[in-house]
Amino acid sequence: MSGVLEQIAGVLYEGDDESVCTLVQKALNEGIKPGQVLRNGLLAGMDQVGVDFRAGDLFVPEVLISARAMHAGMDILRPLLSQSDLASSNKIVIGTVQGDLHDIGKNLVGMMLEGGGFEVIDIGIDLPPEKFVDAIKTEHPDIVGMSAMLTTTMQNMKHTIDALENAGVREEVRVIVGGAPVTKEYADEIGADGYAPDAGSAVELARSLVKQKDG
Amino acid sequence: MTQRFNVQPLQPHISVLSEEGVKAIHKATLEILEETGVEMQDPQGRELLLEAGARESDGRLKIPEKLVDEALSSAPSLIPIYDRLGNLAMPLELGNVFFGSGSDTNFTFDLMTGERRRTTTQDVENLARLCDGLDNIDFVMSMGNPSDVPPDDLYVHAFIRMIRGSVKPNVYVTKDRKDMEDIYRIAVAVAGGEDALREKPFFLHYAEPISPLLIPEESLQKIIFCAEKGIPACYPPSPNTGGGGPISLAGAVALGNAECLVGLIMSQLTRRGTPFLYGMNTAAMDMKTAIVSYGSPEWSLGMAAWTDLARFYNLPSWGFGGASDSKLVDAQAGLEATFSIMSAFLSRCTLVHDVGYLEFGSTSSAEMLVIADEIIRMTRFLVNGIAINDKTLALDAIARVRPGGGFLADNHTLENWKWAQWTPKVIDRKLYHSWVEAGSKDMFVRANDVAREVLEKHELLPLQGEVEAVIADVLAERADAHQ
Ligand code: B12
Repeated sequence: MSGVLEQIAGVLYEGDDESVCTLVQKALNEGIKPGQVLRNGLLAGMDQVGVDFRAGDLFVPEVLISARAMHAGMDILRPLLSQSDLASSNKIVIGTVQGDLHDIGKNLVGMMLEGGGFEVIDIGIDLPPEKFVDAIKTEHPDIVGMSAMLTTTMQNMKHTIDALENAGVREEVRVIVGGAPVTKEYADEIGADGYAPDAGSAVELARSLVKQKDG
Repeated sequence: MTQRFNVQPLQPHISVLSEEGVKAIHKATLEILEETGVEMQDPQGRELLLEAGARESDGRLKIPEKLVDEALSSAPSLIPIYDRLGNLAMPLELGNVFFGSGSDTNFTFDLMTGERRRTTTQDVENLARLCDGLDNIDFVMSMGNPSDVPPDDLYVHAFIRMIRGSVKPNVYVTKDRKDMEDIYRIAVAVAGGEDALREKPFFLHYAEPISPLLIPEESLQKIIFCAEKGIPACYPPSPNTGGGGPISLAGAVALGNAECLVGLIMSQLTRRGTPFLYGMNTAAMDMKTAIVSYGSPEWSLGMAAWTDLARFYNLPSWGFGGASDSKLVDAQAGLEATFSIMSAFLSRCTLVHDVGYLEFGSTSSAEMLVIADEIIRMTRFLVNGIAINDKTLALDAIARVRPGGGFLADNHTLENWKWAQWTPKVIDRKLYHSWVEAGSKDMFVRANDVAREVLEKHELLPLQGEVEAVIADVLAERADAHQ
């Protein structure tokens, strides 16, 4: 039972990046393993942030301030983390499909996932299916997230999934989709592995998918 | 008999920027254009701008004040918009206010079952017909993205249904150049020739840049197309506070102003004198749910501010009102619609869209339109102000009244009651027992009744045979392209 890790989680929740850094350093000085500082300090704090955000108790800027504090802590930890610590962090590639220039929802989902401990590769907007295929080939993510905000571009989610299949990479990843016109039914219809209506539930969804995969 | 009293009504309106405020935002805007610059992704637009004197650095186009001034001086301050029968319907100029529905909702409330479901082409036509039958709705937008046609064709279908459903002018949206061309072809048939359409446009095209600072090829090409053909266009950016724009309204309006002026400049560089509707959208991005709020006071306050800028530029202005974030037509919906309609009317924003939206633009509602029609009518009463003359002062009636007796049976009342008072249509003022006898209906149910009645009884001139023939051609060609 280590008090300092709980303290880290607490100051991270408050978004106090200076104290996060001081306490991360203190924990390391006490001989606690970097991986443990990450999991039981930083990520534990972000988990609580996520829970309270989903419950409607926190505002988006408060979450982002906590995420900023987490990044500050990560900057200290990253060089010290072992290969296995790093490999255990899950990777997600996210982008907006072809013809669609909406960016903000996708960005927010990316930020929340990062706060939830994912490594997020944002590949942009207006992406033809090949860009998703290429990203899978180069990044080897666990999950691919697609965003579409228009009725006219929603169909490109299907085209992208088809392209992943044709390129033989569909089985390598879990595909999740979201955006205003998208529904659970539509996600099922096009063979996506998951749908989330907002950023908070996107994190839960991504977690449950990687758990299935790992488990 | 000469009038002893004759004072014109004040017709109250609001300004939210002082003269100093307007100048400060204009100055900030010029700094954004000249120092920060915009990312112009359209090659043609880039060429036009560079030729006209913009310079390029760090991948941005920096736009000098001279281009702004030239564009402002060549853009018309009056954009006359006609109905599709050729009658002047909306002279868009400062001082006038016109209201209309919104475009592109995913869902609508079924008028018969009350179910929230995806919209169809028939919904678009029905909602257009409802707009046609409501006296305070001046123009039509689609109120739905029809789900019963191929997605690539939906904007063309929406346009066709709008003109079938209404003779009133419409504001339309397109996906790409092919949509622009097909719709233009149909519109030319409606007007009876290219020149006739240019002379009496019955529509206005709606495309947007991307806040912050991005001018995409897709939407700029539409502005250029409109300028070439003489189609009136708007190019409102959405510097939604905390999303596409800074969290604070002054910055959001300055940013949106810069982006909108780029649209204006491009339209004028393409063809001087092109009708261009100035304006933007400054919804708040809600910090708890991250939705872009269609009931936010930030949008209304921002609108009053850019309408002050519009007065400075002497251009008519685009705005929003009559919408809500509520999921149904309830007290919140009524409150938000009233707030934004009153703000729009009082600030004299010229073209006010999105009337009848629920769920921040995801769902359209016929009942909401009917209720908003009433709110607009009620607000018009306020905005018309008080005329002071011998008749309205009623000094003779006051002189003859028995103290404590009242005016009900006085001739002055009997002669003037019709115009002097505002008469509700959907609002209920019945006594309790008669309200119960009439079915104990709340506002929603009464609005539903009105909407059904309009759809049942309202008639309008159908499209002519030649127009339907062009429509059939366009749709057949599109169907072939899908084969
Ligand atoms: C801002 C905005 C824009 C901005 C976008 C700026 C930017 N950089 O992104 C601009 C002005 C550029 C724009 C342009 C257009 N827009 Co727009 N836009 C909006 C608006 C107002 C808000 C969208 C937004 O940012 N919301 C805030 C974010 C945080 O929410 P979100 O995007 O919904 O994302 C959340 C969820 O959906 C989900 N999610 C999103 N992506 C993903 C991905 C995954 C994997 C998961 C799990 C979850 C997830 O989580 C997010 C966070 O909670 C909406 C209306 C509205 N109120 O929603 C219309 C809207 C989406 N736009 C619409 C339209 C029609 C257009 C235009 C065609 C308008 C025109 N006339 O040109 C153009 C199209 C341009 C193009 N080709 O893409 C329509 C779409 C209708 C439809 N069904 O097709 C809407 C619904 C408005 C309307 N009713 O008319 N738009």
